[in-house]
Amino acid sequence: MGRSASKDKRPVYLNLFKIHLPIAAVVSLAHRLSGLLMFLAMPFIVYLLDLSVQSSAGFDRVIAMLQQPLLLAVQILLVWALAHHLFAGIRFLLIDADLGVDRQAANYSAWLVIALSVLTTVIVSLGACLT
Amino acid sequence: MSLYILEGLKPWVVQRVSAVYIALFLFYSLYCGLNVEVVSYIHWRGWLFQPFNSIAFGIFVVAVLFHAWIGMRDVILDYVHDIMLRLFFLALVMGVLVGSGLWVIRILLFSMVE
Repeated sequence: MGRSASKDKRPVYLNLFKIHLPIAAVVSLAHRLSGLLMFLAMPFIVYLLDLSVQSSAGFDRVIAMLQQPLLLAVQILLVWALAHHLFAGIRFLLIDADLGVDRQAANYSAWLVIALSVLTTVIVSLGACLT
Repeated sequence: MSLYILEGLKPWVVQRVSAVYIALFLFYSLYCGLNVEVVSYIHWRGWLFQPFNSIAFGIFVVAVLFHAWIGMRDVILDYVHDIMLRLFFLALVMGVLVGSGLWVIRILLFSMVE
């Protein structure tokens, strides 16, 4: 439907750097992005799961692999993705249940999702460094 | 009665029901993980292949596969408009999900007995 409707002559202006996105839209976009990231990581995670339960040596290899600097960065990104997806998902479920629908509450909860996911990422990263 | 009754609503419901299960399983795993004293091969296997946990994990994997399919499908339908490209990406996503799912079934069935 979008295609046929766009045949009229109205100008389309979709420069994301010049459109001021409301914070709820940022949360929604990041929800999609974080889901995509976790989807891309899925085969690799299944591979690690397989290796980790096959043998004691495999388990040790997984632990060693996860300590490589590049994979540490990927893990931090995936922790953020999971945290954001989870918190934003809970927010969407609450909005589906008619909780926090008005603009002020929705703005507040959107900022809360961003803050909680960043906080979770920092706590998990620091926790992993300390152990 | 049509077989396709609720057809439009079904993915919406599946997405939310799977989301709730995924969240509950993650909180349960987090709770177990935080109460662990030693991280070892024996403990890890013991946790995963304990009957309750392996079944809960199996359901979690099924929930993730459905959740990821609906989510990726929505994203592809929103951003990819060329019909052949759309088919290509949908098939690619389906391939990755089915492959991952079969792989996990293989892990759960064949790694359980050493």
